[in-house]
Amino acid sequence: MRANFIFSEVWIGLRRNLTMTIAVVITVAVGMAMLGVGLMINAQVSLLKGYWYDRVEINVFLCSQDTAIQACGGKAATPAQIKALEAQIRGLPGVKEVYFEDQATAFKNFQESGASKTLLDVTKVEDMPQSFRIKLVDPNNYQPVMQAIQGQRGVAQVTNQKELVGKFFDMLDKISNFALAVAIILVLAAALLIGNTVRLSAFNRRRETGIMRLVGASNLYIQLPFVMEGVIAGLIGGVFAAVILIATKVMLFEELAGYFGSGGAQLGWDTVAQVITFTMIIGVVICVLASFVTLRRYLRV
Amino acid sequence: MIHFDNVTKVYANQNRPALDHVSVDVDKGEFVFLVGPSGSGKSTFLRLVLKEERPNSGAIHVAGKDLARLSNFKVPHLRRRIGCVFQDFRLLPNKNVYENVAFALEVIGKPRRFIRKVVPEVIELVGLEGKAHRMPDELSGGEQQRVAMARAFVNRPMILLADEPTGNIDPATSIGIMKVLDRINRTGTTVVMATHDAAIVDSMRKRVVELEDGKIVRDQSRGVYGQAY
Repeated sequence: MRANFIFSEVWIGLRRNLTMTIAVVITVAVGMAMLGVGLMINAQVSLLKGYWYDRVEINVFLCSQDTAIQACGGKAATPAQIKALEAQIRGLPGVKEVYFEDQATAFKNFQESGASKTLLDVTKVEDMPQSFRIKLVDPNNYQPVMQAIQGQRGVAQVTNQKELVGKFFDMLDKISNFALAVAIILVLAAALLIGNTVRLSAFNRRRETGIMRLVGASNLYIQLPFVMEGVIAGLIGGVFAAVILIATKVMLFEELAGYFGSGGAQLGWDTVAQVITFTMIIGVVICVLASFVTLRRYLRV
Repeated sequence: MIHFDNVTKVYANQNRPALDHVSVDVDKGEFVFLVGPSGSGKSTFLRLVLKEERPNSGAIHVAGKDLARLSNFKVPHLRRRIGCVFQDFRLLPNKNVYENVAFALEVIGKPRRFIRKVVPEVIELVGLEGKAHRMPDELSGGEQQRVAMARAFVNRPMILLADEPTGNIDPATSIGIMKVLDRINRTGTTVVMATHDAAIVDSMRKRVVELEDGKIVRDQSRGVYGQAY
């Protein structure tokens, strides 16, 4: 098999169908980028879940003076109530750890949270609620603990961080599903476009292929230039997709991780490399399949 | 070399068979004219030899191979043993004479050294020495047909099929074409030529197989074109 012959044929084919080739490259690039982004969001979500579910706590906010919450009746929780509550929480099954956050600590944490200057200026230590922070053995099994504490005397409000981050994860899941759905549609479009490109190529070169058939060139020899055209267009598209994915990782995922203030849930470059490899393989496989299917119809050997 | 045994071919959507129970034997080294009016089945015969079509019934053996049992995968190897020449030459317009002939060897993966050696030989055999670098549109019809014959013969096939090779060429030039075919035949290559050209058939005095409506109506060694009438 003579490689330079095949490649000169491929080059001629790609140049003759330049507009179609560009269309294929763009479609493959966007399709594979969507697929890659979807996969990266999935990986990011599972990373974040692992990271956050180790840290999520149930917050039991206690009544403070003049609070507007009805359950408190405008009175602060008494030391006796607090003590009783702590004893009760420690007695609940599934509780791993409990600690008390007093007003001073809450105020300090609030000031470090990065809230706006005006808000920080008007907030005083007395405005901060006291709270119990509960860590669970199994963060998914929060319902019984919350129900047991809700409505106890001196309890203003019980919140579960898991519910808050859970909503965020749901949103990320939706985005990733959307990206994957778009990817599937684009992959379909890419396959059809490649089919069309190969068909045009086969038509443009029917004279050559007719003679090749006649003098007994093997099927592989006749078909390979066409398949290679699809593969090369697919590869170029894949390279663009890789660039898009790297940009997404730098501009989106690293920004995102910044909001969570931790390196523990940072999507690593190894994952990005895996995703790029995977999308490239998918892209090339689709190109090869689309080319072969079309050739079977338009290049009878 | 070519053996048809009771072969019938009916094209889809047609009632009348293109070939109707045809049995014929062509031996190695023979020169056979296939004559008959248009639509009598000459081209179908040639297409069946190339396994471009399959017969509806009957057996075909070419170069010792039973075509019915030849897998699609091996059809290219069969075609490497058969050269083809057509009325419309079928040259590649963007390649010169040398490249057109070399193309037939390139696409079956022959090494470049081999190509460089045999292509000039064949170009000389068909009488085009000195014109290797002409483009097809710079050549006369007769010269183009010589290029096509060089391409068909460059891989030294056992069989050369010619489908009205003189159909687009004036009678004087046709004689030259026939001389080349005769030269190729003398190297031991079996030649089957479908033609309408009575003058050529009469002058060559070779075996003549006449088809009419898909049936063989005459098979005569050292025959002439119109003897049956």
